[in-house]
Amino acid sequence: MTVHPVRSARSSRGRMGRPSTVLTIAMLACLGYFLLPLVWIAVASTKDNSDLFSSFGLWFADDFSLLANLRDVFTYDGAVYGRWLINTALYAVLTAGGGAFLMAAAGYAFAQYKFAGSKVLFGIVLGSFMIPSTALVIPTYLLFSQIGLVNTPLAVILPSLVSPFGIYLMRVYAEGAVPDSLIEAARVDGAGEFRIFWQVTLRLLAPGIVTVLLFSLVGVWNNYFLPLIMLNDPKWFPITVGLAQWQAKASGGGGAEALFSTVITGSMVSIIPLLAAFLFLQRYWVSGMSLGAVKG
Amino acid sequence: MNSHNVREYPRRRGSGRLVVVLLTAVLAIAGCAGGSTGSTSPTSVDMAAALKQPATLTLWSWVGGLEDEIAIFEKKYPNIEVKVVNAGQGPAEYQKLRTALSAGEGAPDVVQIEYQQVPSFTITNNLLDLMPYGANDIKDKFVPSAWQQVTQGNKVFAIPQDTGPMGMLYRQDILEKHGIAVPRTWDEFADAARKLHAADPSTYLTNLPPNEGGAMTGLLWQAGSRPYRAAEGTELTLNIDDAAARKVAGYWNGLVQQQVVAADADFTDQWYQGLANGKYATWLTAAWGPLFLQGTAKGTAGKWRAAPLPQWSSDEKVSGNWGGSTSAVTTQSKHPEAAAALAMFLNSDPESTRMLATKQFLFPATKALVTDESFTSQGLPFYGGQQVNKVFAGISETVRTDFTWSPFQDYVYSAFTDTVGKAITDRRDLPSALRDWHQDVASYAQKQGFHLTS
Amino acid sequence: MNPSRVVTADTAVPVVASRERNRSVTRRHAIAAYGFIAPAMLVFVATLVVPLGYAAYVSLFRERLVGGTVFVGLGNYGEAVADPLFRAGVLRMALFLVIQVPIMLTIALVFALVLDSGRVRFGRFIRLGIFIPYAVPSIIAALMWGYLYGPDFGLFAQLARRVGLGTPRFLSEDWILASIANITTWEFVGYNMIILFAALRAVPSDRYEAAAVDGAGAIRTAWSVKIPAIRPALLLTVIFSVIGSFQLFNEPQVLWVLAPTAIGNGYTPNLYAFHLAFTNQQVNYSAAVSFLLGIVIVAVSYVVMLATNRSSRS
Repeated sequence: MTVHPVRSARSSRGRMGRPSTVLTIAMLACLGYFLLPLVWIAVASTKDNSDLFSSFGLWFADDFSLLANLRDVFTYDGAVYGRWLINTALYAVLTAGGGAFLMAAAGYAFAQYKFAGSKVLFGIVLGSFMIPSTALVIPTYLLFSQIGLVNTPLAVILPSLVSPFGIYLMRVYAEGAVPDSLIEAARVDGAGEFRIFWQVTLRLLAPGIVTVLLFSLVGVWNNYFLPLIMLNDPKWFPITVGLAQWQAKASGGGGAEALFSTVITGSMVSIIPLLAAFLFLQRYWVSGMSLGAVKG
Repeated sequence: MNSHNVREYPRRRGSGRLVVVLLTAVLAIAGCAGGSTGSTSPTSVDMAAALKQPATLTLWSWVGGLEDEIAIFEKKYPNIEVKVVNAGQGPAEYQKLRTALSAGEGAPDVVQIEYQQVPSFTITNNLLDLMPYGANDIKDKFVPSAWQQVTQGNKVFAIPQDTGPMGMLYRQDILEKHGIAVPRTWDEFADAARKLHAADPSTYLTNLPPNEGGAMTGLLWQAGSRPYRAAEGTELTLNIDDAAARKVAGYWNGLVQQQVVAADADFTDQWYQGLANGKYATWLTAAWGPLFLQGTAKGTAGKWRAAPLPQWSSDEKVSGNWGGSTSAVTTQSKHPEAAAALAMFLNSDPESTRMLATKQFLFPATKALVTDESFTSQGLPFYGGQQVNKVFAGISETVRTDFTWSPFQDYVYSAFTDTVGKAITDRRDLPSALRDWHQDVASYAQKQGFHLTS
Repeated sequence: MNPSRVVTADTAVPVVASRERNRSVTRRHAIAAYGFIAPAMLVFVATLVVPLGYAAYVSLFRERLVGGTVFVGLGNYGEAVADPLFRAGVLRMALFLVIQVPIMLTIALVFALVLDSGRVRFGRFIRLGIFIPYAVPSIIAALMWGYLYGPDFGLFAQLARRVGLGTPRFLSEDWILASIANITTWEFVGYNMIILFAALRAVPSDRYEAAAVDGAGAIRTAWSVKIPAIRPALLLTVIFSVIGSFQLFNEPQVLWVLAPTAIGNGYTPNLYAFHLAFTNQQVNYSAAVSFLLGIVIVAVSYVVMLATNRSSRS
């Protein structure tokens, strides 16, 4: 197989030859399996309560009730769903954004510098990840209630801001993607450490930061148990807790209401912003950026 | 045998809680002392004065739309403002409540608690005794079986809001198709189950859910079982496998082994589909069941009817209860008089209770509504025009009044699923699973410091 | 004799001077490092370490419904070690780990390599699609899988019956672990794939140039160049999958709603800790179980790290 001279990063990344149809079909088939349950939920959100349990799961029923369901979702219970969406977005963006930056700095420091106590600190970071978070919820609640943070957004944001996993991930990326030669060159140029971090490292770490951001985003968006315990007032609930509350209404025991189609449609709607965020963030992974820095 | 150092670690509530407990005790004693002098007792005078003070109350309730009922209350007591918060339904709310109570702050003034959970909050002294606040005055308004569940000795810890007397919803078309008469006794029910399943193997007379401790407890209640009785202080009488329970277990054992009843977990997709597609010909459920069924099995409209539960002997008319909530006042409340007034008003005022029944469709706990013609005479098309409320109103009066709950009902239900529930799914011997259930709960109770008596 | 190691009078002063400069540079670096770490560490200590410390303290006591609280020292831990439910849970997770993790990570690696090779059309769409399951919250997952796995009306069951295969019992006790493994794989292949994919993207191109010059084909490049290049990320996914599988909670919780008797309260150690705290009101014992589980995880992770280090050296 002939090798063309390297002009752009892409052609040397093992991309030899044109896209393979066989491979594409195989991957699309795999994709089908991953999307199957989601097809179910998309189809299910077009059905009303009775159709849900009497029609074939993967195809539509006779009545197309998507608009009616959507209307129910956004108007039920004093139109609180919209508020929940905003809450979730707020928590997710603040936590993921703030956290990604904090963790990138920490990961870079662990990877780049030797300093007293770095091994111990990193050991603590890693060690704490090994204790399941179920042990943390009640103590965190007790501590936060002492400070008066319970039932506020901070009670949900702070505990999720920094995760041991994120720090570890950033360290790994920093070790792999930030060449010492580059840092040394910048130092020789007279740049201060923080300036190096801000102008050089962040760009190199971009794919890693985006990854951590994405995981953080998803993690906070889907977090259920922490907000359940920390928040009492529904006006601060994120979508997960709110939807679970609606669904619980369907489980009998007095005042029971069947809300299935509303819960299902509400769930489907709640996935969409995450997908949008992912699509938007994907752009930052196609990184010709780091290679430009190396060559330049 | 380990020797433990008995040392109390600092509780966050600290001295504040001690003060509240003392105050409550003082008030209780004062209330008891004052009660005998009738309407001129000092505590009722205190109520009137206290209710003129400005106060803001927080009410945790998962029953939606309480604003109208609250509006009436606020009109009567203009200086009291009530904030209604839906902090979660059932277990979700209790988890929050327990955490807030152990933190010493953050709990609401008035909270919705289901009957079976009330003792679990009184054992930790978190609920206010409402006797000094005039609870005795409204005692006669309530159905006896409901009132009995909220009292311990001469203390009243919650006000009943709604109830769940158990009855049977059945598919008239399926029974008619196979020439089966509506079973009135459990023997008839067993025969009908065998006959139906033999005729149509894809249909079962009923489903016995292995995860629903509440439903099974209702059936045990009907049979006269009395699993838990609190004696003095730390003494607890535990008889989960008493004679009545063994009778029930033996009965269902037969049907389960013969595979003529289904064993699906309820409130799952599988179960909803079963209801909608005629897999189960009856549903042994409570008074909130009819409306619930309407929402989930729309395709079967017009085919269902309501009837009392089958009886153990043909001259009996008794039932049990599954579900229903109360309003209780927490000891963290800074306005106990106002909170007590709210709890009592919400659930006994004629206008408020009527709204609860007609707007929120809660099955009433008050005698007035249960016997009210306009409530009972509604015909529901889903049930072929039958006056379903009247059926359940009649059942409501037959609920046994001697049943009491354990102080750790969460654990009891979860142990049920692990022992008896598992036996139902695996089609193993139910009476011995019942014994296992008892043993499981007994060892838990001992670990929790209870002294078991029989 | 190496000339550079001889310190003569001429070179002595500059050497001393540069040593001074090194020290101040190192100090400057150390200060910068602490500065970078401080914000994250602050939050970390406040929201993780302090609650963990409190949880450890709590695990030394036993609070009872009646009779107050007693100090039991390591009594809770002793009880947990002897607890048949806890031990069964740990063994179950070990089995799960040994089977599910290699399968899931292999699939994720293959996907990442295929996508990175650029030989697939619709790459972005496929990447997004495989990742989506991770973004689905458990409440929805429960609904979906409840539908798919249902023995009477579920999709898989209906298809199997149509093909004449009989009714698969996904939610029966024999098969439930495999069903959970299926859900976990479905959920996390995309997650791990993204990590590995991002690592592949960050590999500098000069590594490929050498392979290209050698005339290596796509698969050979993948095996000899790409995989070694992302070793740190691979190790990351292995360690976190190990930790994750011992901490399994969401997926069994999802299926518990559907199969409450096949999945008991102690099905996984993490689920056990949760139930102990919130159903049984045994908060102290729950904390002990959590810490004991943490110790098990530390031990297993250490073994895994040792094993991978040794294999890389050989």
